[in-house]
Amino acid sequence: MTDLGPDSPAPRRAALPRLSPKLVTGLALITAITLFGVAGPLLLGDPDAINDIGLTSPGGGHVLGTTQMGQDVLAQIAYATRGSLYIGVLVGVMATVLSALFGIVGSYVGGVVDEAFSLFSNVMLVIPGLPLVIVISAFVPPEQRGAWTIAVVLAITGWAGSARVLRAQTLTLRNREYVLAARVAGEPAWRIITVEILPNLLPLLASQFVFSVIAAILSEAGLSFLGLGASNSSTLGTMLYYAQNGFALQRGAWWWFAPPGLIIALFGCGLALVNFSIDEIINPRLRAVPRRIRHPRREPAPVGRPSQDVVVSVRNLSVTYGNTVQAVKDVSLEVRRGEILGLAGESGSGKTTLAYAINRLHRPPAEVTAGSVTFHHRDGGDTDVLALPSGELRAFRWSQMSVVFQGAMNSLNPVMTIRAQLEDVLTTHRPRLSRHDRRARCARALELVGVDPARLRSYPHELSGGMRQRVMIAMAMLLDPQVMIMDEPTSALDVVVQRGILREILRLRDELGFGIVLITHDLPLLLEVSDRIAVMLGGEIVECAAAEEVLARPRHPYTRRLLGSFPSLTGERGAFVRTGEATGGAR
Amino acid sequence: MRYYVRKFGFYLAALWAAVTLNFFIPRMMPGDPVSILMAKLQQRGGSVNPEARRAYELLLGTDTGEPLAKQYLSYLGNMLHGDFGISVSAYPVPVSEVIATSLPWTVVLVGIATVLSVLVGAGLGMVAGWRRGTWLDSLVPATTVLAAVPYFWLALVLVAVFGSALGWFPLIGGYDVDFTPGWNLDFLGSAVHHGILPALTIVISSVGGWLLGLRNMMVSTLSEDYVLTATAKGLPDRRVMIWYAARNAALPSIAGFAISLGFVVAGSIVTEQVFSYPGIGSKLLEAVQNNDYALMQGIFLVTTVAVLGANLVVDLLYSVIDPRTRAGANA
Repeated sequence: MTDLGPDSPAPRRAALPRLSPKLVTGLALITAITLFGVAGPLLLGDPDAINDIGLTSPGGGHVLGTTQMGQDVLAQIAYATRGSLYIGVLVGVMATVLSALFGIVGSYVGGVVDEAFSLFSNVMLVIPGLPLVIVISAFVPPEQRGAWTIAVVLAITGWAGSARVLRAQTLTLRNREYVLAARVAGEPAWRIITVEILPNLLPLLASQFVFSVIAAILSEAGLSFLGLGASNSSTLGTMLYYAQNGFALQRGAWWWFAPPGLIIALFGCGLALVNFSIDEIINPRLRAVPRRIRHPRREPAPVGRPSQDVVVSVRNLSVTYGNTVQAVKDVSLEVRRGEILGLAGESGSGKTTLAYAINRLHRPPAEVTAGSVTFHHRDGGDTDVLALPSGELRAFRWSQMSVVFQGAMNSLNPVMTIRAQLEDVLTTHRPRLSRHDRRARCARALELVGVDPARLRSYPHELSGGMRQRVMIAMAMLLDPQVMIMDEPTSALDVVVQRGILREILRLRDELGFGIVLITHDLPLLLEVSDRIAVMLGGEIVECAAAEEVLARPRHPYTRRLLGSFPSLTGERGAFVRTGEATGGAR
Repeated sequence: MRYYVRKFGFYLAALWAAVTLNFFIPRMMPGDPVSILMAKLQQRGGSVNPEARRAYELLLGTDTGEPLAKQYLSYLGNMLHGDFGISVSAYPVPVSEVIATSLPWTVVLVGIATVLSVLVGAGLGMVAGWRRGTWLDSLVPATTVLAAVPYFWLALVLVAVFGSALGWFPLIGGYDVDFTPGWNLDFLGSAVHHGILPALTIVISSVGGWLLGLRNMMVSTLSEDYVLTATAKGLPDRRVMIWYAARNAALPSIAGFAISLGFVVAGSIVTEQVFSYPGIGSKLLEAVQNNDYALMQGIFLVTTVAVLGANLVVDLLYSVIDPRTRAGANA
C-alpha cells in the first residue's frame, strides 16, 4: 500500500501482543479455569465421598448436583480439571521440545540431517495419531498406565505438525543476514540457534505450544472416555467416561456430563483466542483494521476541462492513513494526452499512494479525504472518478486507465495461465467478443511487446522477470486505454532488460498515443524518458515542470539535492535509452 | 513427473514405517499378548491349531527363539496377503473379514463429513476473509469454541437434544435392523437417517479449522499484488475473490490436509463409540476391550493405509491446483 514492498524488512516486531478484547477474554478464561483447577480441589472437599443422594439435580447442598453414587459434581470437576491441565501442560512441553528438536535443529544443520528429520516428521504426521495411541495404550497393562505414560505417548504422536511449521520458519531465518553474519564470524551452531534463531521463533513456538496443549487435553479426554486413559487419575475425560457408563445421558442428568465438556471447550477456546493474538504478532497482516471513517463531502467539486489535451485532472487531493498519517497533501496535477509524466520521489513520499488514489485502488485504512479526480474522455464528456458507483468504476478501470504495478514478480496470479489472465480482461470488458477474436487479440498484444504468443499457455513461474513485466504491459494495453499508470515498472529488472522494456514503452506510446504516469525513484531515468516531471516530497508535489527545465533549472532545494545525489548526469539526454549507450548514471 | 515419483515414494516409506511400527509395538510392550489370545480362543471353544498360533506369534511376538529378522520377514509376507489372523471377539471370523464389513461405514461417514466440512468451512472462511472487519468476520473467533469441543461430548449433546429430547433421529446404530443391508431404498434411507447425527458431529467439530485457516490466508493473500492487479483490471468481485484470492489462499490449507484428517479420524473413532456406529472405530474399541490384539493391529494398519491413500489423493490434487509443484522445484 505504501512504497514498502512485501519483501522490505518488516518493522521490528512488538515483543508483546496488544491487549485486544480477544486476548483479554482468552487470558481471563485460561486464568479462571486454571485457578479453579489449582485452588478448587483445596476448597471443595472430597470428590469421592459417596452419598445416598444419587443423581440429585443442581441446587441446595450441591451446586452442580451429584453423580449416580451421590458424589459432588463440582468437587469432581475441580479435581478433574487439575488432572486434565496437568496432562495438557506435560504433553505441551514435551511435544514442543520434540518439535523444536526435529524442526529447528534439522533445518539449521541442513543436508542429509534435514532430509532425514523432515522425512521422519512427515511420516509421523501422516500416520493417524489416535489409532496409534489406542494401540499402544491397549498393550500397556492398566496397572502400568500412569499419567506420565499417557503423556509420553501423546507427545510422541503429537509433535510432528509443529515440527513442520517450525522447519519452514527456520529455513527462512537461516538465510537472514544476521544469522549468516554470525556463521561467518565462526560462532558455534548451538549458540547461533539459541541466540539468533530461537528468539525469533518464540511467537511461533508459543503458538505451537498452545496448540499442543489443546490437542493433548482433547486427546486425553477422548482416550479416557474410551477407558484407555491413565489409571487412578481423574481427568475431565474419565469423568465423562463414568457419566456415560452411569447412563447420565439416558437419565437426563445433564449436570453430570455437560460441565466437564464445557470446561474443555472454554479452556480450548481461551487458548485459541490467545493464539489469535500470537498469530497477529507472527503475521502483522492479520491485525484488525480500524473501521473506515466516513468523511463529509469532498471539496472542491470536480473541475471542468481545462484544455483539450488534458486527460486527467487531479485537484487538491489528500489521502490519509487511518486519520493519522497524511500520505498525500493537497496535490494538484494534470496528465496530458500522449505525454509521459514522471513522478519522482523517495520511498514513502506518497507517489504510489497518489497513483493508486487516482484509480481508487487505495485500500483501508487509506482514504481520500479531500479533492477530486476528473477523467476527460477523448470524445468529450468528463467522469468524476471518485464519485463513480462500484459497477461503473469497474467498467472504467482498465478500459480508460490501466496500471502496471511495481514488482513484476507478483503481479501475475501464480496459479493461472497467462492466457486466462489476459482473457478475463476481455470477457469482463468486451463480453460480446467471440472466443476466436479474444484469443487473436491476446496473441497480438503479446506480439506487440515482443513476447512469443506461444507463451499464452505458460504459467507465470515459467517466464523470466522481464518477460512477466512485458506480459503485464501487454495486458495493460489490451483495452487501448487513454492513460497507463506505471509504478516502478522496471526497478526489479537488470539494466539491459530495463532498457529494452523502456524502449518498448516509448515506441508503443508513439504508436498508440496513451498518456503515461511513470512512477520511480530513479530520477536519471525520468530525465531521459519523460516529457514533464513532478517531484514529490512528504506527500506534496514540490516541483512540476518540463524535464529539461527540471534538469537545467531545478527550483526546489530537494530537487537539487536529488539531482546532485546521482554520480553522473553529464551524458546527453536520451542517449541511454534511445541509443543504448550507457552513460554511467543508469542505476 | 519428479513430483509424482517423490510423492509415491514418500507414501511407500510412510506405509513401511506404519507396518514396522505395528510389528515392534507389541514386542516392546510388557505382557504376553499371545498367551492371552490363546487363552481367549480356548474359552470360546476354538481349536488352538499351530497355524493360528504361528500367525499370532508373528503379529505380536513371543519368545520362540526365532530371530527377529526372520519373524519380521514372515510378518511382512502375512501383511502383504492381508492375513491378519483370526479375530477373537468375532470368532471364528478372520480379521480381514471383520474389517471388510465395517470399513465402508467409516469411509462413507468420514468421507462425506470431511467433504461437507471442507466446503462449508472453506466457503465461509473465504467470504469472511474477503469481507474483513464485517459482522461475518467478527464471528470467526467464536468458531474456535467449536474446534475446542471434544467430539464425543458434542456427540453426547447432539444425541441428548436431537435424539432423546426431540426424537428426530435414532440414538444409536448405523441402520434400522428391520432392513437388510444392500442397495435398496429402505436400507439406504435408514442408513442416511442414522448417519446424520454422527456426520453432524464431525462437521461441526472440524469446520472451524478450515474456516480459520482459509480466512487467515485470505487476509494475507488479499494484499498480494496479483489481487490488486485483478481489482485494477475491473474484474467482478466474485472473480477476484474466487480465482485470484481464494485459489491461492487455499493452497496451505490443502497442504495441511494431513493434519486435519488426523483429527477427523481420531474424532470419528470416538464419535462412533458414542453412536455404537457399525464402523471401524467401534470395532477397534471392541477389540481393545476384548484384548483382540490381532483385530486391533489389523484395524490400525487399514486405517493408516486409508489415511495415507486420502493424503496421496490430496497431494495429487494439489499438483493440479498449483502448477508450480509440477515443475518439481518443491515437492
